[in-house]
Amino acid sequence: MILQFFIAMAACASFAVLFGMPRDQFPFSSFTGALGWISYLIFCELGAGTVFASLFAAFFLTILSRFFAAVRKNPVTLYLVTGIFTLVPGAGIYYTSYHFIMNDMHMFTVKGMETFKIAGAISIGIIFGFAIPQRLFQIKRR
Amino acid sequence: MSSKQNSNKEILTLAVEIGDALLRSGSEIYRVEDTLFHILDSLGLEHFDIYVLSNGIFASANEDQEDGCSIIRHVPLSDVHLGKIAALNQLSREICDHSCSMEEAWIRLDECKSLPVPKPWIQALSCGIGCACFCWIFGGGFPDSVFTFFLGILLQYMLMDHESRKVSKFMTNIVGSAFLTAASILLLNLHLPIMQDKIVIGGIVPLLPGIALTTSIRDLFNGDYLSGAIHLLDALLTGMCIAVGVGSVIILYQHIPGGVSLP
Repeated sequence: MILQFFIAMAACASFAVLFGMPRDQFPFSSFTGALGWISYLIFCELGAGTVFASLFAAFFLTILSRFFAAVRKNPVTLYLVTGIFTLVPGAGIYYTSYHFIMNDMHMFTVKGMETFKIAGAISIGIIFGFAIPQRLFQIKRR
Repeated sequence: MSSKQNSNKEILTLAVEIGDALLRSGSEIYRVEDTLFHILDSLGLEHFDIYVLSNGIFASANEDQEDGCSIIRHVPLSDVHLGKIAALNQLSREICDHSCSMEEAWIRLDECKSLPVPKPWIQALSCGIGCACFCWIFGGGFPDSVFTFFLGILLQYMLMDHESRKVSKFMTNIVGSAFLTAASILLLNLHLPIMQDKIVIGGIVPLLPGIALTTSIRDLFNGDYLSGAIHLLDALLTGMCIAVGVGSVIILYQHIPGGVSLP
């Protein structure tokens, strides 16, 4: 689990470089991403399905990025985009289109529905995270 | 009167330029709208309207009066640059605080726009590390990650080369994923102890439209249906291109007799 944490951190950090992240924000963004991935793993282990785990992890991630955004006075996007990189269903998109090309229509629907559910769950998690009033984050800063 | 008209036009141009730069660096729709609204409001425009799409900005001010003006901008979808978003955010905040004059704002805007992208070798190295880490996360072993690292570096060099020569994005995705699949099959045929699909999944992470997909659904939930649809189409097409790249190589390979069978 600890190894997974550091690997997810490195993964987020390296994609932050590709996205031109300002240097002083690196630790925060990679920390957000790594915690998001770890919470996903924990929820998976607790028996939540991949969809629900994504929802909770995205929710958690959004709160953390909003917290960092308030503390560091930067747009939330900075932390959110690099953070959700570990959660977004990249493999799902790959498998969906792979089965489509290979004419395996059963697996195509299964994987396709799962990918869309995960993407939807992540968005709902983010929206719930944004629904928390901004005031709470400003109190934390003081 | 003419000086007033001038400044109206100037304010609108400045605001739209900032919005344009924000949208180009991959900011969300509501952030661009918000920023434009605050800038125009704090600079003293009274009647104005803004409509932002994921690839265009429409803005007008004082339409029903003599000094009315409007601006339409086409903003092509392009690469994310978070540093620019942060810098532009800071700039617009200062404009709203009136701690930054118009002339200063134009100079600062140019500075923000010319923020550098990382050096090629840094980009390649970080792409390699990122691919290797994702390969590991998705269940690959140590040897898989090592090979993915080198493939990721090669892939990023290819992406940068294509970008400088303005190759179509779809072509880049097809060629990139085909290259990854071919390389992984080659490694498999050398009888190395690797998991071919994990290498491909780790390697295609930089190409994948995961962020476009999530953003599109967020836009849809925000009520920006058109922007959401644009991003969704972009994500689906990119996904299809990657599938074509991977699938065509695998189909070709299956017609070659005597290879190692794929999982």
